[in-house]
Amino acid sequence: MGLEDMQARVHANKQLFENLWLMELECPSVAANIMPGQFVHLEVPDLQANILRRPFSIFDRDEDAGTVEVLYQAVGTGTRAMRTWEPGLVTRMIGCIGRPWEVPYDTERALLVGGGVGAAPLNLLCQELMASDVGVDVILGAQTEGALVCRARYERTCGREPACSTDDGTYGREGFATVLVEEALARAQAEGRPYDYAAVCGPEPLMRAASQLLMEAGVRCQVSLERRMACGVGACLSCVVDTASGKKRACVDGPIFDAEEVLWR
Amino acid sequence: MALMNVDLGGLSMKNPVTVASGTFAAGREYADFVDVAKLGAVTTKGVSLNGWEGNPGVRIAETPSGILNSIGLQNPGVEHLKEHDLPWLSGQGATVIVNVSGHSVQEYVSVIEALEESPVGAYEINISCPNVDAGGMAMGCSCASVEEVVGRCRTATERPLIVKLTPNVTDVTEIARAAEASGADALSLINTLLGMAVDIRTRRSVFSRVVGGLSGPAVRPVALRMVWQCSGAVSIPLLGMGGIATAEDAISFMLAGATAVAVGTANFANPHAAADVVDGIQAWCEEEGVEDVNELIGGLIC
Ligand SMILES: Cc1cc2nc3c(=O)[nH]c(=O)nc-3n(C[C@H](O)[C@H](O)[C@H](O)COP(=O)(O)OP(=O)(O)OC[C@H]3O[C@@H](n4cnc5c(N)ncnc54)[C@H](O)[C@@H]3O)c2cc1C
Ligand SMILES: Cc1cc2nc3c(=O)[nH]c(=O)nc-3n(C[C@H](O)[C@H](O)[C@H](O)COP(=O)(O)O)c2cc1C
Ligand code: FES
Repeated sequence: MGLEDMQARVHANKQLFENLWLMELECPSVAANIMPGQFVHLEVPDLQANILRRPFSIFDRDEDAGTVEVLYQAVGTGTRAMRTWEPGLVTRMIGCIGRPWEVPYDTERALLVGGGVGAAPLNLLCQELMASDVGVDVILGAQTEGALVCRARYERTCGREPACSTDDGTYGREGFATVLVEEALARAQAEGRPYDYAAVCGPEPLMRAASQLLMEAGVRCQVSLERRMACGVGACLSCVVDTASGKKRACVDGPIFDAEEVLWR
Repeated sequence: MALMNVDLGGLSMKNPVTVASGTFAAGREYADFVDVAKLGAVTTKGVSLNGWEGNPGVRIAETPSGILNSIGLQNPGVEHLKEHDLPWLSGQGATVIVNVSGHSVQEYVSVIEALEESPVGAYEINISCPNVDAGGMAMGCSCASVEEVVGRCRTATERPLIVKLTPNVTDVTEIARAAEASGADALSLINTLLGMAVDIRTRRSVFSRVVGGLSGPAVRPVALRMVWQCSGAVSIPLLGMGGIATAEDAISFMLAGATAVAVGTANFANPHAAADVVDGIQAWCEEEGVEDVNELIGGLIC
């Protein structure tokens, strides 16, 4: 599929918790073609001083309705402006960009680990794995109970609650999601059904630590990396990631990388 | 239909619009958005003899109406350009300007020599990149070094030689005259303005090399002024750039003296920008009864 710069119309935009928001956008082509792990480069209109687009993963899609959902955290000028978008607002986005998650075809059991908004690009993958009868375990980490905004969605997809951790102990296990990763690995081992594949997305220290654990256990592991992006289409070289085979562009050679390839910062 | 073709120092362009080096790779990444054959030329990313790694750490920062970059001329080297990019560009029917980089005068010459048999319309000698230590801007800031590098490149090729100037000098016209006197067929300007951004939390610069290059709408007035100054100082044609995002911007550069223009940072905001500028100039000429786009060049009334 080639890239397209498309019109996207806001359908809904609601606050889920503090600075976490969910936006529904009408964009039939992205809804039809997005592959799990890919992202869109979204224009934030009417910000004279901010000329770049912003990259966002697609959290969910409804192909029939022609809509997609973006789960976003308001952290800076662009994402704070997005909070004010009303239904009907029209913007543009380039899609569908990047390398998707690549699950080995013979995978029987997979582990998905999402920290914070890092849970967003794993949801479509979770749906796809469930649909192809792969055993899926999900671990979600967040700072506090309220920030576990994806919990219900994953529960709906998987038919059971994901394992959760919060930094402040208000929900699930207190501490970082890596503890749950260790436990999941031990349990899978004990059950004699080890993981064949793991996908991790979240803050870089989490991805680094979790992928380390997973690789040590012999699990093929992929991560989704964030870099500052200008073009979003592979032309400007602003988003490079150091890998075992040299510098790679996060936008089009990623954002999904094999964890064993990544030379962490 | 207004006549759109221009002659940039011997490079025949079907319209006055190219893209700014480093913002468009070699065109393929934008092929879904822009038919490269529709542009006056495609200007490729700076290329060195054996390739460079580029800079570590953060490479881009948004600033008011602009961006700072510290890419550091990452490129895979001239052989890669010859094998992968130039054949594709010529297959598409594009006119090609190759942006040439070097750490030394000899490296610029060697890159040109390596390309002499390849389908290249013109060379753009980048003596103005602020993001590398040797070569780049270091060579574009004194008349003596400009004369040396341009003079040596001149003897290496008969093809049109465009010399790309840095705005980070006291008097850009002095450098422009030195380049003209050394055999340049055209000048392009401006490269990025030296800038900086500080992360107050870490008390460090955002960039590993501390400074970066500013581009985008924020630099447009400075670029326009420098094009106008140079047009009064030299008689060779100018390729104007710096913050051009629309046909109106492009036309203002032509009125200030540019024969052609380049669209750079604007590609990031709008992947169709370069093609939109071509269409916009065409439409504007028709509306205004301009029969030949060349009528605009230097048409500023002072
Ligand atoms: C492939 C990819 C997918 C992403 N998916 C999501 C998602 O689903 N939900 C979500 O909330 N966030 C996501 N992000 C991060 C999101 O792009 C940034 O939070 C956002 O760009 C911040 O913009 P701002 O204007 O609010 O921040 P500002 O700090 O004002 O932005 C200034 C500049 O820095 C860039 N920038 C700032 N933070 C980041 C960052 N963490 N990553 C990349 N660029 C950044 C901005 O794009 C902009 O160019 C993703 C990033 C990438 C690379
Ligand atoms: C990301 C980026 C990479 C660039 N790389 C090069 C380069 O390789 N060679 C060069 O001569 N100029 C390079 N430039 C400078 C541009 O070609 C242009 O001179 C400058 O950005 C001003 O134009 P603009 O404001 O339209 O971008 C680069 C600029 C940017 C933003
Ligand atoms: S953002 Fe331009 S190459 Fe990745």
